[in-house]
Amino acid sequence: MKVTLTVNGSHRELDVPPLMRLIDALRGPLGLTGTKEGCAEGECGACTVLLDGDPVCSCLVPVGQCAGRSVTTVEGLGSIDHLAPLQRMFVDHGGAQCGICTPGMLVAAEALLRRTPKPTEAEIREGLAGNLCRCTGYQRIVESVKAAAELRGDRGEGAA
Amino acid sequence: MSLTDLESYELLHAPSLAALVALVADRHASGLHTVLLAGGTDWLVEQESRPPLPSGVEHPVVLDVSRMPELRALEVVSGEGGDRLRVGAAVTYLELRRSAVVGERAPLLARMAADVGALQIQARGTIGGNLATASPAADGVAALAALDADVLVESVRGRRTIPFSALQTGYKTSTRAPDEVLVAVEIALPSRGAPFVWRKVAARRAQAISKVALAGVAEVEDGRVTRFGVGMASVAPVTARLPTVRALALSRPIAEIDAASVDRAVEADVSPIDDVRSTRDYRLHCAKALVRAWLRQLGARG
Repeated sequence: MKVTLTVNGSHRELDVPPLMRLIDALRGPLGLTGTKEGCAEGECGACTVLLDGDPVCSCLVPVGQCAGRSVTTVEGLGSIDHLAPLQRMFVDHGGAQCGICTPGMLVAAEALLRRTPKPTEAEIREGLAGNLCRCTGYQRIVESVKAAAELRGDRGEGAA
Repeated sequence: MSLTDLESYELLHAPSLAALVALVADRHASGLHTVLLAGGTDWLVEQESRPPLPSGVEHPVVLDVSRMPELRALEVVSGEGGDRLRVGAAVTYLELRRSAVVGERAPLLARMAADVGALQIQARGTIGGNLATASPAADGVAALAALDADVLVESVRGRRTIPFSALQTGYKTSTRAPDEVLVAVEIALPSRGAPFVWRKVAARRAQAISKVALAGVAEVEDGRVTRFGVGMASVAPVTARLPTVRALALSRPIAEIDAASVDRAVEADVSPIDDVRSTRDYRLHCAKALVRAWLRQLGARG
């Protein structure tokens, strides 16, 4: 089945089985291995990507349901040479440890900050409640998101 | 894992609800299996954990209903009996949370939706999917029970309405025929500002299936309860409607209802079990405590 979708702002056309999981389409034919697979059953949030701006578990989305829609992965936030404020704050504040949960955390945090540019700590914790970190570094992750919100606010980057 | 044979399935889109019900009926008449896929938060997990299909077994046809316009209503319908809220079967929990009209007129639904899974699940999971999966632990279905929702289904024989009280017949079984497609639910809107309750007891706030959950809505006039709905998850083979509790709440001035009679009513209405998430004793304890607190909120004694 031909599936046409937008991935990180670029128009992409795939010829894939429609019930292939979005994560497999991203990591396989699309070559975007930033998205990680954790539990494969929608519990851990490691594979979180944005589908039309909302966070979803890409292990539970058939790629055929993404036709005509827009997907944002961690690669869409920034690059190694141009880290997004969220990514830079995760580095500066120790928000990343082993790294498996990090792409999902970043994408979930991006979804939060787009809708809630100045979140309270409770809002950050709720926004990340679907993302597990087995290094259990939650406090630093929350601090990283808080710092990114401040940085984005200073630069006028807020609600999309 | 059976993701491999999943990739050999077809994913079809019906051009209209009429075409969808015709296709479902045809396949059902031929004994063929059809999957109506909305958010996939249950179905895809089940696919991962089942063994691969034996060779020679026909693969089910999967119909994507997630964006079918006829299943996407979210609106207030005014009628002679008062305002009703229609929620299409493919409306997601996140849409319920974000809807201004739901927040204002049916805050129980918005409050419940915020406790389903986490945002990633809320963005995909639907009211229709929750009803079709028919788990007695379903949070969304407990809220629909409390609101005495009407369930609208359609087949080649036409559309009919199933009152929630006539829907569930046993563990994951219902009066909806196999070829009837869930279209929407409708609820008679409570009066503005009517008291409601949503309490979920679970291992953690997000991504946890309820050990017990209570949904409730009521209207109180001059010390008497005039409308009273409750739904409880994970305390019976079906979503518990607590008929004895309902009768008690409506039977006398609310201030005359005491804790002991509430406890007896709850005991008559639930049959919890021990399972991986909790125990019968703890569930019974929670069920009583939650209903007592809800009735106290309305003015009952102790």
